[in-house]
Amino acid sequence: MKELKLLYLYPDMLELYGDYGNIQVLKYRCEKRGIKLIVDKYSIGYEAPNFKEYDIVFAGGGADNEQSILSEDLVKYSENIKQAVENGTFFLLICGAYQLFGKYYKGVEGNIIPGLEIFDYYTEAASDRKKRCIGNIITEVELDGEKTKVIGFENHGGQTFNVSTPFGKTAYGNGNKFEDSEEGYFQKNVIATYLHGPLLSKNPKVADYIIQYCLSRKEGTNVTLEALDDTLEEKCREQLLEKFMREK
Amino acid sequence: MNILIIIFIKFVIFILKCFGRKGGNLPGKIAKKLNPDILKYLKIDCPVIAVTATNGKTSTNNCIKSMLENNGKKVISNSDGNNMETGIITAILKNCKINGKVNADFITLEVDENYVPKIFTKMRLDTLVILDFFRDQLDRNGEVETLILKINEFLKTYNGNLILNSDDPNVSRLGKANEDNENVYYFSVEKYEHATKEEKEAGEGKFCPFDKTRLEYDYYQYSHIGKFHCPTCNFGRNEISTKATSIDVKNGKFMVDNVEYETLSNNIYTIYNFTAVITVAKIYELDAKETLKNFRLDNGRCEKVIVNGSETLINLAKNPTGANVSLRMLNEDSDEKELLFVLNDNLADGVDVSWIWDINFDIKNVTRIVTAGKRAYDIAIRIKTTWYPTEKIESYLSLEEAVKALYTTNTKKYVIANYTALQPTRKEIKRMNI
Repeated sequence: MKELKLLYLYPDMLELYGDYGNIQVLKYRCEKRGIKLIVDKYSIGYEAPNFKEYDIVFAGGGADNEQSILSEDLVKYSENIKQAVENGTFFLLICGAYQLFGKYYKGVEGNIIPGLEIFDYYTEAASDRKKRCIGNIITEVELDGEKTKVIGFENHGGQTFNVSTPFGKTAYGNGNKFEDSEEGYFQKNVIATYLHGPLLSKNPKVADYIIQYCLSRKEGTNVTLEALDDTLEEKCREQLLEKFMREK
Repeated sequence: MNILIIIFIKFVIFILKCFGRKGGNLPGKIAKKLNPDILKYLKIDCPVIAVTATNGKTSTNNCIKSMLENNGKKVISNSDGNNMETGIITAILKNCKINGKVNADFITLEVDENYVPKIFTKMRLDTLVILDFFRDQLDRNGEVETLILKINEFLKTYNGNLILNSDDPNVSRLGKANEDNENVYYFSVEKYEHATKEEKEAGEGKFCPFDKTRLEYDYYQYSHIGKFHCPTCNFGRNEISTKATSIDVKNGKFMVDNVEYETLSNNIYTIYNFTAVITVAKIYELDAKETLKNFRLDNGRCEKVIVNGSETLINLAKNPTGANVSLRMLNEDSDEKELLFVLNDNLADGVDVSWIWDINFDIKNVTRIVTAGKRAYDIAIRIKTTWYPTEKIESYLSLEEAVKALYTTNTKKYVIANYTALQPTRKEIKRMNI
């Protein structure tokens, strides 16, 4: 049986917006195709993981308090994580985790929370504490040459700058900053984004891109995935795309 | 001036009544426009009780109101659930004299979590009941921690009765906000048969608020409610004023201070609310036994109806914990059943529906699921991902069609609806029953 290994970072701390659903969707779509998805968890107090051993690393968004506690812990692994990224392990990073992988996060009072410095972008808190990018969002992305609309929900105060290769173009909603034209960060083996929803639940193409990438990498050939019955997802997308574009 | 405002508002309430409107918030809104501090002007000579929480405010406040009335007291309350400042102003102005004198033995109010400091810096408060704090509509309310800190700040200078759920770390910690307050009463509910060793449902407050150590739990009742303590400080070791024991959820019975209480409810979460009510009764030396025996709130909070011969239980769920409590009741019931889940994403619901992924959909003996509401497909995908067979899920954007489809069989029904979905769903279900 084919199998993939996923490392789930800080499940008890980065779990505010149902981001765990991304793992459930990945697991569902893997197992429907006879691929086993093994999920290991890492949090404060656990044994140190070796990031390079994993096909996928996932981290979600959390509350501010939790996020500052764990950033100190995660920085210990920055070298190991850097190697895993270079090695081709897939990283799916949502919201707070997206920010943590950048250079730093600058708070409202100017305090700096250091990031892992894996990527060159950095995040600054919005000067007005009460202002946040909140709402439904549609991002136009291109995965393996195929264009698709990604639907999600954003809820962030941080404004992310200096993104060299964004995940997509904002068609509805904010993106990396207030009223931005771009959203997230992307490279072949990294999707870092503000999109909750959870992201993969309404975007099966993104889920399959990740699974396909990981399997192909593992097997050393270009794997094609068997199609699944996505009637519900397609109906959901059709309804929401129409609804959001109408509200635009 | 204030006399004129009160006369005018009473007139507005009268006019609204003529048009068949209840006037929940509008009169209060106008009064607040005319004098933002109108609450300060009111002369209240009776005790004021307030209930706040994420879940259970309406039920608990209404139960306290019934308890007081059953003890022969004259009570003013916002029992309709309008729990922000404008709703509270309306409720009191409706029942005061034009000189602002409030004529009652008690005022009991449910108060939106975010409005507690705002309201009670303007009016008297004698007893504050806090039931629980869960994550709730993050896009509207923000993080739970921010809310707790806000209430903690208010409590620093509060010396009245404070009734706290000792089994919720988010609530229990508030007992330390003012070390000089001698009127803190903790209530707790003993382990019940479906309590678990591990947390089954997403919760908050995993770390000790005083020294950031991970909290240890002997057991979880539901979500993060359970017997917890901090391994390094004394947090979680409270002296309990009201302890519910011999919990028999199936038959709706439990004991407090050697008295057996019978209820019409069959869930752990209501027993917590009732234990809070008993604590209020104890403070004012009143009896709650008879009230609990007959108390039922027929407005979609664990409402039982029979529709075309099928037993139907309707319950509101505004957040993961609300939905989890309903699904717990469903799982604790061994009969075969069907589920209707109605999910809207209106402003009052929270536009973000990702909270449905925090619901524990480990469901048993459910033969069919119907989903409806503006986000009927979102909830369907959520359920599908738990490996519930897709062919047994039916989704309808039209509520009318969904309810019709639900009652094509006479299997027992469980209905879960979120905030703005609840009343339309009840209406549609009741229309079926001809």
